[in-house]
Amino acid sequence: MTDCLRYAPMIGAREGELAPDEARALAAHLAGCPACRAREAAVRETDGLVAEALLARASRRDFGPFVDGVMDRIAARRARSPLDRMLRWVGGHRRSAGLAAAVPVLAALALVVYVRTDRPARELALFELDTVGNVSIVLRTEDGPLVLLGDGEPEDS
Amino acid sequence: MEADDLALVSRATAGDDEAFRALVVRYQRKVYAVALGIVKDPDLAWDVAQEAFVRVHGHLAEFKGESAFSTWVFRIATHLAIDAVRRERTSRKDDVDELRDEDLSGAGEGILATPLGNDPQANLLRRELLGKIQEALDTLPEKHRTILVLREVEGLSYEDLAERLGIHKGTVMSRLFHARKKMQAALREYAEIAPGTGGDAAEGEE
Repeated sequence: MTDCLRYAPMIGAREGELAPDEARALAAHLAGCPACRAREAAVRETDGLVAEALLARASRRDFGPFVDGVMDRIAARRARSPLDRMLRWVGGHRRSAGLAAAVPVLAALALVVYVRTDRPARELALFELDTVGNVSIVLRTEDGPLVLLGDGEPEDS
Repeated sequence: MEADDLALVSRATAGDDEAFRALVVRYQRKVYAVALGIVKDPDLAWDVAQEAFVRVHGHLAEFKGESAFSTWVFRIATHLAIDAVRRERTSRKDDVDELRDEDLSGAGEGILATPLGNDPQANLLRRELLGKIQEALDTLPEKHRTILVLREVEGLSYEDLAERLGIHKGTVMSRLFHARKKMQAALREYAEIAPGTGGDAAEGEE
């Protein structure tokens, strides 16, 4: 059985597919092994039937529309302009594209913006934008930072 | 006389759609057959086969003629078909390539000698047999279907199969062994129940 494990997979090899020493060893094994000769006969009996079955099934199908379908697909892809292709790509990646576009905006808004106010020159206003879009104004005063809420009233930060 | 593939490819690359149509018509059935053998579903096979030609058309300019045009088309169709199957398949534990002692049991007796012999209804039986082969093929795991189809329909050598499937030659041989064994087991059931075949098909075989 050990020899059969080695040689059974070689059964069905075509001319030149086995190395010469493999082919000689297989032939010697087949000469002395009825089980492997039976395996070889089984491979011969069924050889080519899969192809015949599949091609027979393919031949039963009407291929009239096939080539037109191929050409229609090609025409559809040709018709897409580069802009269409870009829009489709963006559409397919809308979420990631939206996030990517938001990154520089958020980064820009997150920068410290100094503005002048009607308060003394040493009081500076700082706009801060958090990730959910809430804006706060922080006043830098000599007494420390103050956060201005929606009604504009200062409150200790 | 029909233009050869390279001439048609050259014309198609230059924008001659009729030349490309001729190439499609020349290989459509065989490409469909390969796809059908792998994906099983006729409509999906149709889609895969059409898509293969569309991909080929999109890359015609890259075809250098170093291999046959048909080899190129089949290679693309095979990859598309395998991708289509793998998107849906669930892997099976018994889907192994190694050969064990138990794999050698019960195989090898004559399977189809009587059904394909001198029976007056041979043609009818053959059609029935081909249907059974298709059914049997459909029961195989994807990798066994694929290697049988590539070997028998495309006629790939061990070396080509190893390259196409990304496996070693030894694995090609053992995988083919398993695939054939499963096919033979399914066909043996058919041979044993086919009219007039009885259980004696194996007799007379050594």
